[in-house]
Amino acid sequence: MAGHDELREQAGLYVLGALTPAEQAAFEAHLATCGECAAEVRTLSSVAGALVHAVPQSEPSPALRARVLAAVGASPSTAAQRTIAPEAAIARDTASAADTTIARDARVAPDARFGPEASIVRTNTLAPWLAAAASLALAVALGAYAAMLRTRVGDLEVRLRQATLRADASERQVADARRTAADAQSEVAVLAAPDLARIDLAGQPAAPQASARAFWSRSRGLVFTASNLPAPPAGRTYQLWILTAQPAPVSAGLLKPDANGRVNAVFETPPDLPKPTAMAVTIEPDGGVPAPTGDKYLVGLATSL
Amino acid sequence: MWFLGAVVDRSGLSGRWVEDHVADRAALARMARGDHDGLAELYDRHARPIYSLALRILQNPTDAEDLVQEVFSQAWQQAGRYDASRGVVAAWLLMLGRSRAIDRLRARRARPEDRADERAVANIADLGPPPDLQVLSVEQIACVRAALGELPVLQRVAIELAYYEGLTHVEIAARLEQPLGTVKTRIRLALIKLRDTLAGTV
Repeated sequence: MAGHDELREQAGLYVLGALTPAEQAAFEAHLATCGECAAEVRTLSSVAGALVHAVPQSEPSPALRARVLAAVGASPSTAAQRTIAPEAAIARDTASAADTTIARDARVAPDARFGPEASIVRTNTLAPWLAAAASLALAVALGAYAAMLRTRVGDLEVRLRQATLRADASERQVADARRTAADAQSEVAVLAAPDLARIDLAGQPAAPQASARAFWSRSRGLVFTASNLPAPPAGRTYQLWILTAQPAPVSAGLLKPDANGRVNAVFETPPDLPKPTAMAVTIEPDGGVPAPTGDKYLVGLATSL
Repeated sequence: MWFLGAVVDRSGLSGRWVEDHVADRAALARMARGDHDGLAELYDRHARPIYSLALRILQNPTDAEDLVQEVFSQAWQQAGRYDASRGVVAAWLLMLGRSRAIDRLRARRARPEDRADERAVANIADLGPPPDLQVLSVEQIACVRAALGELPVLQRVAIELAYYEGLTHVEIAARLEQPLGTVKTRIRLALIKLRDTLAGTV
């Protein structure tokens, strides 16, 4: 069982639903006994509530309204299941859908559940059969009409969907362009920072051809470029380490060279990170590790600018 | 268990959201009696946010529309069992929408290791939000939306993968190729920043 501090760290993940099922069960058990964590969850949960509404708002197609109302209304609701027979549902549908004269006929249906009107009708023995025949004919006619409408709605939906997909594709292109611009902006931000440090990294015996350069600023983050890095073996990954005056190296993140052995990456660094004195790239198991264990591929000392 | 914010305008500018909530309850009661107009009314008020959330999660207009239908179908079937203590109707509908959408997303990924999570999410979906709902104003939501856009890219992406794609932190770490601890820290920092933004707008 994890300790309180460790569990408290999980409150945010819990609120977002990002814990694994086992972690979630453990956290909920803890939550029942810990007022502090419950309070943390309560304040963070307002954020989750806001996230529901924070998505870009867009309008569903007008055809969806008709589709939902038709499909959903066709099945009885909870209370209706208990009190209204299926024939009654048809009669009710026709009353709203058909023109008023036909609807009036449909309401004279032969069933005691329809209320006082029905008992009056019952005095004439023929009337129930006529009414039943009328509702049947009406149901058939409405069925054909509904089928025709469905075809037309279906056709319109297809056309609308195609238009929406085209619009989506252009939105995606705009989003891609925006992302590229944002990446470029953060690179510029790092390079223009007043507290900039530069670190040139040289290839080690494991990769003598490799080289890299990093620019770091406490306020703006880290820009890292490398070339001639060999592709990592399967199940292994490159990890970038920042060395400071403190004894433990700090992981900046994982590096993924492209097919040409190049890396172009921007990392955030903790705001309380001391000024880097050196950086190193090591080879580590996939997913990265908390402290370096593998061979060094690139190493370099900081130069102040 | 999900804590969903209800959109209630406490600024007193219009009180429209409070009125909507009262009207929502009345519409549900009418739906429980089999009244289709109640359903139409609920649809007109809430289809847009539910559709928008579903579209964000499923990334596909057809699936998002199917999901809206699923949510209203469930609302129709459960209208008679709706318990006021489960909170604001709008939040209930959105919670249903998010759970069902993430169910679909997980089914779409359909990797064997997802099945346990899938069951967990299916169970979550039936719990409903607890009674201590947070109440958010329209202004607060606008601020959170803006704050979300201002988060460092990786923090924002981590939050979005968790909330809109239903990934666990372990899956997020794998997707972003970041160590687990880094992902946890990023999500925590981002949530605290968003929460402070929210607190600052009360």
